[in-house]
Amino acid sequence: MLAVFLQLVVSGVATGMLYALVALSMTVGYRATTVVNFGHGDMVMAGAYAVFVFVGSGLPFAPALLLGLVVLFLFGLGTQRVLMRPIIAGPHLSLAMMALAIGYAVRGGARLEWGSEVTTLQRPYAQDAWMVGPVVFTTDDLVIATFVILLLLVLFLVFNVTPVGRLIRAVFQSQRGAALVGIDVHAFHGVMWGAGAALGAAGGVLLALIVPLSPDMGVWTLLRGFAAMTLGGFGSLHGAVIGGLILGVMEKLLGFYLSTVFIDITAYLITILVLLIRPSGLFGRQAAVRV
Amino acid sequence: MPRLRVTRRLFWLVPLALLPLPLYLDQYRQYVVNLMLMYVPVGIGFNVVVGNLGLLAFSNVAFFGIGAYTSGVLALKLGVPWWLTILPAGLMGALAGCAAGIPALRGVRLFYLAIMTLAFGELLRWVYIRWVPVTGGSFGMSVPPPSVFGWTLETEGHKFYVFLVLVVLMVVLTDRVLRSRFGRAFMAIKDNELAAAAMGIPTDRYILLAFAWGGFVVGIGGSMYAALVGHVTPIAFDLTELILEFAVIMVGGLGSLLGSVIGAAVITAAPEFFREWLGFQELLFGLLIIAVILFLPRGLASLLARLHPVFVDRYYRD
Repeated sequence: MLAVFLQLVVSGVATGMLYALVALSMTVGYRATTVVNFGHGDMVMAGAYAVFVFVGSGLPFAPALLLGLVVLFLFGLGTQRVLMRPIIAGPHLSLAMMALAIGYAVRGGARLEWGSEVTTLQRPYAQDAWMVGPVVFTTDDLVIATFVILLLLVLFLVFNVTPVGRLIRAVFQSQRGAALVGIDVHAFHGVMWGAGAALGAAGGVLLALIVPLSPDMGVWTLLRGFAAMTLGGFGSLHGAVIGGLILGVMEKLLGFYLSTVFIDITAYLITILVLLIRPSGLFGRQAAVRV
Repeated sequence: MPRLRVTRRLFWLVPLALLPLPLYLDQYRQYVVNLMLMYVPVGIGFNVVVGNLGLLAFSNVAFFGIGAYTSGVLALKLGVPWWLTILPAGLMGALAGCAAGIPALRGVRLFYLAIMTLAFGELLRWVYIRWVPVTGGSFGMSVPPPSVFGWTLETEGHKFYVFLVLVVLMVVLTDRVLRSRFGRAFMAIKDNELAAAAMGIPTDRYILLAFAWGGFVVGIGGSMYAALVGHVTPIAFDLTELILEFAVIMVGGLGSLLGSVIGAAVITAAPEFFREWLGFQELLFGLLIIAVILFLPRGLASLLARLHPVFVDRYYRD
């Protein structure tokens, strides 16, 4: 019994790492701009397809990955600058709809091109599995975990040690205050939106290692990323990571011990319950308004 | 000759002018027109919550689906004639509206509410897929041909007249709601919820009411869906459908009753023309919404409002 439980936790953590990365990339964009990107899932999808295209054109995996991330960074930067900036002072609804519409257009483009075929991203390594005690690890698990942990380390350093981190915190606290001390808030928003998209794209590539590519994978990831963010507390970086891990493990445990049908809705249930019971999540600040 | 005074009463001419339409249209074109009519209540209900009340609620497809499934299950499993399922569909929609509105009462706002209502809609879709004995699972269920007072609506033209009556009823009732103190309370809450509460407006009650009314109207739209399409499947109530409904109210005009009607007429015809190319519709709607937000934030209704004051919304202010 314990072996089964351990196995579930291990594979849950592996999936959870992916959710954590997606949630983290959304948090980066949100922290920097205080706008939630409802089209973020489609950035994740676009990233996976971009790398797929570059690999298909004959590039080795590593340069293709790098190129894909750069493309998504530029795309995020560009859409923020051209489409979001003119309405940044407008109502929240417009911002949410704009992000959603961008994502929708991207998804439509992807479906137009690849909608009728099943495409998969070839692993750049051989899939293998090892037994450690009673628990099986796969190469996928290890690759995903290593990649995410490395990214986490880099992000942690960027946010907490470098001047960029101070900038991010300054803009998050008060955009006007940040502008007053000479920070180019607009340029900063664009760069961080791009960085969020690139990070999301990295998540998309990792996801594409374990599931086939599809234009709809964005929506699926978006809702799971939201669940992880909500659980960890909106805007909290370590919250996003821990939320993602808990979500991954919960999916596996509920799926095994209750019924497999619960795998699909764990994320929705978590989102709804957390927002009803404790809207600030595990590590977030006050999220609800009281009137 | 006395000058004809242009008043809002003239809006009654619109449904009257539409009456002879079935004489000129073939079945398919008539079906598309019925589809437009069906999206009028769907847009109206959505617009009440998002446009007039100003809350970021993405749960509209949930109400739409509940309405369609209520009608479908009652007609198929219990043999209830379609016209008797319209009101239950609306009531179930209102109930779902209240459920979706409860988090708003707990102080969940902005994108938190958006995320939560998104999750709510997806959860319901999961129920449609999993509750096979009642909903028929992923394949959905075929709804018997709709009947009214014992007559079966055989052609699209027959459905058209019934739909027209329902749509006019929903437009008039929603107009009444928005012009009453309810509508003014929605407006106050949208402008400044804190100030509205401070003035003694019971904001909780009105928020719930707006959700319930929105859900009711959309639920009736769902019932029309069951009658029109004749087949209720979970895939019809996914996020793609949500964006279509968003396009209806954004392109028509946020917070505008007239806008919902215009949006329904303009947007819903589009998918019928582009159904051959997978993804083209998504691309088009995405770009369309982007363009509207950037260049025409108050939608097509605001263009009409420039032409003549009768088109100006009385229950929406920027």
